Amino acid sequence: MTTLGKIIAVHSYKGGTGKTLLSANLAATFAKHGKKVCLFDLDFRAPSLSTVLKIEKVECWLNEYLNGTCEIDKVLIDLSDRIQNRGKFFVGLANPATEAMRDMSAKDRKWEMRALGRLLALRNSLLNDKGFDYLIFDTSPGLQYSSINAIVGADLVIVATTLDRSDVDGTKRMLHELYDLFEKKTDIVLNKVLHDVYSQPGREELQAKIKDLYQVPLLGIIPCFCDVLKAEGGILFAQERPEHPFAKILDEIASKIDNNMA
Amino acid sequence: MVSKQEVLGKRPLQILEKIRENLERLNEKMEVMIELQKHGRKDIQPLPETPLDVMTLLSMPDHLRKTAMTLCRLGRATAEEIAQQTHRARAVESAYLNQLVIMGHLKKERKGRKAYFYTEKESQG
Repeated sequence: MTTLGKIIAVHSYKGGTGKTLLSANLAATFAKHGKKVCLFDLDFRAPSLSTVLKIEKVECWLNEYLNGTCEIDKVLIDLSDRIQNRGKFFVGLANPATEAMRDMSAKDRKWEMRALGRLLALRNSLLNDKGFDYLIFDTSPGLQYSSINAIVGADLVIVATTLDRSDVDGTKRMLHELYDLFEKKTDIVLNKVLHDVYSQPGREELQAKIKDLYQVPLLGIIPCFCDVLKAEGGILFAQERPEHPFAKILDEIASKIDNNMA
Repeated sequence: MVSKQEVLGKRPLQILEKIRENLERLNEKMEVMIELQKHGRKDIQPLPETPLDVMTLLSMPDHLRKTAMTLCRLGRATAEEIAQQTHRARAVESAYLNQLVIMGHLKKERKGRKAYFYTEKESQG
């Protein structure tokens, strides 16, 4: 059976590069474009999607699905009513309780291997059987088990990076020593770029520099928007402020992915 | 009642089949020994069971990772099936798979003349 839907892992070398904001808004953008999307919080060290998406009632956490104590249907929360279009938007959340985070950090290799099996099984249960177009994995930064599992299970890895020197060096290393080894298609999103660098003709120069630096496709450049910072991570721009430049850039990124994955 | 002719006709075939099976097994063992020698390991004692998790995959040499990842995708496969995916020779994949068994990452099960390789996860159904 041919799988039409795709799995995207959003990863980064360092924390604070904007993975969660990018994942949540990219998922909402896909839904806005009429796609059936599910966003998963695989950042078990610091779960944040429940706060970003303001979800209080959860029947089953993603932790339980990976533990094998809960079916995926009970993990999925339908947020489609927040999307002003025919798209479908679901999420699967990581448990933010301290005990749950501690429990996840103490898992052994065998557990992680079974967890990878359960992540891979989502391709059948959600993409094939339930007709999802995209599953988006928001991950922990760096070399975390859950993140590498997500990368192995994904069709595309989006690396959120900044111009911070240690982030640039780390991202370059990960491209060669992680994504390449798993033969993963990898694209870059450069985030938090200062406006004077972003403005023309600086933007073209920056695009060339990034392509030369990483030798992988550049999906988009996102300037540092004060509005995004002011929102304190509490606004889904793709949905609540569709005319905002940030939402427009996400529209372009989502369309590019759609074309590349077709 | 089996006729004398039938017995005479079947036996040589069975014997030939047995010889062929044994030769194939011998061939596999030689492939493993050659492979181990190439990588500077003389002992062929299986190592304790080590799950084939992502960190283990990351630390593997490139040639073994390719085989291991293909098997992870297929779940359970013969050397022939792996070779079709990796576009390398069946004998090469057979050697790598057997090396992964020795390293404790994979399990092997014979069904008739075919040898199936699988990960620990797969063995649990």
